[in-house]
Amino acid sequence: MSIDARVRAYWREEFSLIALLLLFFIAIVAFGYSLPFDARLFPLIIGCAGIVLTLAVALDQVRRHRAGNAEVVVDGNDPAARAGWPRYATALLSAPAFGLLFWLFGFIIASFVAMLLIPTLMGYANRRRLLVTAVITVAVLAIIAPYLLNVELPQGVVGDWLIDKLALRAG
Amino acid sequence: MLDHLILGLTAALHLKQFLFMIAGTVIGLWVGVLPGLGGPVAMAILIPFTFSMDPLSALLMLASISVGAAFGGSITSILLNIPGEASSAATAYDGYPMAQQGKAKVAMGLSAGASLAAAIVGVMILMFASGPVAKAALAFSPAEYFALAILGLTVVSVAALGSTVKGLAMGALGLAMSLIGIDSILGAERYTFGFVYLLDGISFVPVMVGLFAITELISMILEGGTIAKAGKLEGSLWDGFRDTFRYPFTLIQSTAVGAFLGMIPGIGATAANFLAYSVAQRSSKHPERFGKGAPEGIIAPEASNNSCIPTSLIPALTLGIPGGATSAILLVAVTLQGLRPGPMLFTSNPELIWGFFMGLLIGAVMATILYLIMIPWFALITIVRIELMAPMLLIVTLFGAYANERNMMDVFVAIFFGLFGYFLRRHGYPLISLVIGLILGKLAEGSFHQALMISDHDYSVFFLRPLSASIFALCLVLVLWPGVKKRLGHGGAEVT
Repeated sequence: MSIDARVRAYWREEFSLIALLLLFFIAIVAFGYSLPFDARLFPLIIGCAGIVLTLAVALDQVRRHRAGNAEVVVDGNDPAARAGWPRYATALLSAPAFGLLFWLFGFIIASFVAMLLIPTLMGYANRRRLLVTAVITVAVLAIIAPYLLNVELPQGVVGDWLIDKLALRAG
Repeated sequence: MLDHLILGLTAALHLKQFLFMIAGTVIGLWVGVLPGLGGPVAMAILIPFTFSMDPLSALLMLASISVGAAFGGSITSILLNIPGEASSAATAYDGYPMAQQGKAKVAMGLSAGASLAAAIVGVMILMFASGPVAKAALAFSPAEYFALAILGLTVVSVAALGSTVKGLAMGALGLAMSLIGIDSILGAERYTFGFVYLLDGISFVPVMVGLFAITELISMILEGGTIAKAGKLEGSLWDGFRDTFRYPFTLIQSTAVGAFLGMIPGIGATAANFLAYSVAQRSSKHPERFGKGAPEGIIAPEASNNSCIPTSLIPALTLGIPGGATSAILLVAVTLQGLRPGPMLFTSNPELIWGFFMGLLIGAVMATILYLIMIPWFALITIVRIELMAPMLLIVTLFGAYANERNMMDVFVAIFFGLFGYFLRRHGYPLISLVIGLILGKLAEGSFHQALMISDHDYSVFFLRPLSASIFALCLVLVLWPGVKKRLGHGGAEVT
C-alpha cells in the first residue's frame, strides 16, 4: 500500500471512530431524556462531557489532518501496514468467525476448525504438526472444561437441533 | 498487627493457596517472557476461571501472575533485547549488553535479586500503609468518593501515552457504558432496549477479555513469525544474585521510586521502570557505564517495577480506585467474588486481606526460586511459532469469556470489544482509561447521588467541602498542566 493510501486509510479510520464515539454519546443523552430525573441526571452529565471531549478530539484531529504531515500518522513499524490483505483479514476475522462457529456448531468443532484454519491462512506449512497440535489442544480443553472447571461445552445451535432431530438427547 | 500477620499467614499457608500461587507464578513467568502478552492479558484470560474459586485463592493466583510476569519480563529483555513486559523495557538497556558480553546469567541473577528485595519491600509498604489509608478512607463522605473516582480517571487518562483528550474521552466512554442496565437509585431500566442480557449491565469479564486479550491476538496474527530466536545462557546466576546487594544505594533508591509511583493511580510500573533507571544513572558515580552492561542499570528498573506492583494495590484495595490494568483486574476479581472493595473490606474480611498480603510475600520468594530454576525453559517459548500459538490463545480466551456466565452473548461482547479495542489502540486511544471508567462508573454515580441526597440536592457540596474541592482542583491542574507547560516552554523558546 502506498504512503498516500495508508494516510487516507488512517484518516478514514480515525474519523469513523470519532463519529462512532459521538453517536454513542449523543445516544446516551437522547435516550436518557425519557428517564426519571434521578436516573437521567448522571447519564446526561457523562453524555454531555463525552460529546464535548469527542468534539475536542475531532478538532485536534482536523488540525493534524490539515497539517498534512504523513509521517505523523504513518507508523513504519505498524504490523497492519506491513501485512498483506489475507493476513489482515485473518487477523480481524478470526475471532468473529470462531465466535460464529462456536455459536452454530459448538466449542469442539469451532476449536478444531480454528486450530486447522488460522495457521493455514497465516501460511503455516507443517500439516502433520498442525494436526497433532489441533487434536491435543482440543482434547485437553474438552477434558479440562467439564471435569476440572465444571463448564459444560455447548454443542451449538445446529448441534442442538441435530441432537433433537435425531432424538439423541436423553429424555 | 501481629494478630493480623498470624491470621494472614495461616490463611496463605494452605496447600491449596500454595498450589494456586505456584500455578499463577509459572503462568506469569511464561507470559512475562512473551512480548505483548503481559500480566494483565493473562489475568484477563484467566479471570473467568477464578469465579468458582474461593476469594483468597482467586486473588492470590491473579496477583501471582502479575508478580511472575514482572519477573519474567526481564528474561527476554536481557537475552534478546525484546522486553517481555513494557515494565521491563529499561532492563534491556544494560541487560542485553551484559548478555552480549557473555554474562546473561549474571544479569538475570541481578534481576532476580533486585526483584525479590523490591517486591518484599513493596509488600511490606502495602501491609503497613493500607490499614491507615483504609481508616482515613472511612472518614470520606460520598462527595470525596466521587471526587476520588474522577481523580483516578483523570490521572490514568493524563498519564496514558498519547493524547490526554483521547484518554479523557475513553474514560467518559467507560463511565457511559457503566450506565447500561438497571439504575441503582430508582431501579429504572437504562439503555437496555429490551435486551435481557443488558439488564445487569455490561459484564466486566468479556470487556476485559476483548480489550486486553483479543486486541493483542490481532496484533500477534498480523506480526506472524516467531517471537524471537532462543538466546544464549552463560555465567552464574548466583554471582548476579549476590552482586545485587553490592549496590545497596541503587537498590534502596529504585525501590523507593517504584513504591512511591505505584501508590499514585495511573503511573504504573512502566513509568517507574524508566524513571528509576534515569535516577540511578544521574546519581551514579559512573554514569558513562550505563547502556554498556552496568549492574546498576539492571538493578534500578527491576527493583522499581517490582516494588511498584504491590503498592499500586493500596488505592485499589482501600478506596476501590484502580491505578492500572493489574489492579483493575484484581478489583474485578474481588467484585466477582461478591465482595466490595474499599475500607470496609479490611474490617469485614481481615482473613482475606491479610492472607492476600502474606500470600504476596510468599509469592515473591516463590517467583524468585521458580525464576532461577526455570530460566532456560522460559526462553523456549519465544521460538514457538505465532501461527500455532495464536489460535490456541483465541480458543482459550473466548472459552474463558463463555465460561464466566455460560452465556454466548459474552463471547460476542468480547469479540466486539476486541475489534473495537484494536482500532482504538491503533489510533492512540488508551484502553486502560475505558476499563477504569467502566469499573469506576457505579462508584462514581452512587457517590454522586448519595452526596446530593445528603446535601438536599445542593450541587455546591462537591466544591465546598475542603477535601473534595482540593481533589477537583487537582484534577483541573492535571488536565490543564500539559497545555500550560507547553505554552511556558514555547514562550521560553521564543525568548531565547
